[in-house]
Amino acid sequence: MVFNTGAALLDAIVLAVVSRDKEGTYGYKITQDVRKAIEVSESTLYPVLRRLQKDDCLEVYDRQFDGRNRRYYKVTEKGAVQLNLYETEWKSYSSRINGLFEGGESV
Amino acid sequence: MNRIEFMTELAALLQDVPEEERRDAMQFYNDYFDDAGEDKEGEVISELESPAKVAGKIKADLLGQHDGGEFTETGYQERVSLAKEVPAAREEKTGGQDFGNKGYSYRENADGAGYAYQGGGQGNTAYSYEKDPEEQKPWSSNVLKVLLIIGIILVGAPIIIPCALAVVAVAAACVIGLFCFFFALVIGFAAIAIVGIVLFCAGLVALIPEIAVGLALIGTGLILGVIGTVGTLACVKLCIVMIPGICRGLVWLCRKPFHRKAVA
Repeated sequence: MVFNTGAALLDAIVLAVVSRDKEGTYGYKITQDVRKAIEVSESTLYPVLRRLQKDDCLEVYDRQFDGRNRRYYKVTEKGAVQLNLYETEWKSYSSRINGLFEGGESV
Repeated sequence: MNRIEFMTELAALLQDVPEEERRDAMQFYNDYFDDAGEDKEGEVISELESPAKVAGKIKADLLGQHDGGEFTETGYQERVSLAKEVPAAREEKTGGQDFGNKGYSYRENADGAGYAYQGGGQGNTAYSYEKDPEEQKPWSSNVLKVLLIIGIILVGAPIIIPCALAVVAVAAACVIGLFCFFFALVIGFAAIAIVGIVLFCAGLVALIPEIAVGLALIGTGLILGVIGTVGTLACVKLCIVMIPGICRGLVWLCRKPFHRKAVA
């Protein structure tokens, strides 16, 4: 990939990945899912999750799994609003770029 | 480098971030290794590159410097140079630790319960985090505790040892006193019985010169003899009942401090 993924886009991708599971999902799975879409190193995801958690976009809870506590991440209401905003922004951004690439028409 | 080494080094490198941040990060990467599974341990470690890099990113984000880097086709490029401070800290922290040690644990300061690793790079090793509210360094807490205990013993010894001796002496005196009391009772009544017998004999002897004195002596002798015999028997019976009771009481007293210790 030649395009950079900025912090906002990375936040949006992580929120989107987490929001796919209503019950919430866990760090390793989030990392793997994000890495299916974009190339980021594994060590990048934790700070993003932590930041989103501090911004109240994600909430965490521990649940027993396989005899241990596993930390789950879940999108909060604020996170859902934020994700919605990102999606809207992305649609307009990508459609403008697409418009440029495909027809040269201004949108 | 295996998982334990990785996590230990990460914990050491995160010593200077707020405790809550460190706990959260440790939990995340601990979960991460657990969820990746033992067979992917090496893969995860090579992908994470180094504890220094992981710690560097966490710290950079805490400093609000996440905008100082950018994501490119090769991943996140840091503009903040963390490399300078990190290797030094790393050497200092790892110097005192024995990574070859199997049953090793490290401490994380916090208040809740500890969390445990599941898998591990060394087969069936079981290791756990323990949390200590005071101690920052992972390995010195046990040593400190031992030193503290030794210190308390050294300071307390001049007071505790004489006190303990005094308590033991008093207890022994009480016990010996009780035994003596019962023994004395038996002896006393036995003596009365003997006096009674002697008086009876004296009465018989005195009967020939003076009948009245002789009869009086015989009568007194008989009364004393009966009182003495009955008293002796009663005391022996009393001892049979009391002495095992005292012994039991003693055993209970001796056990009590140990029981209390076990509970505490």
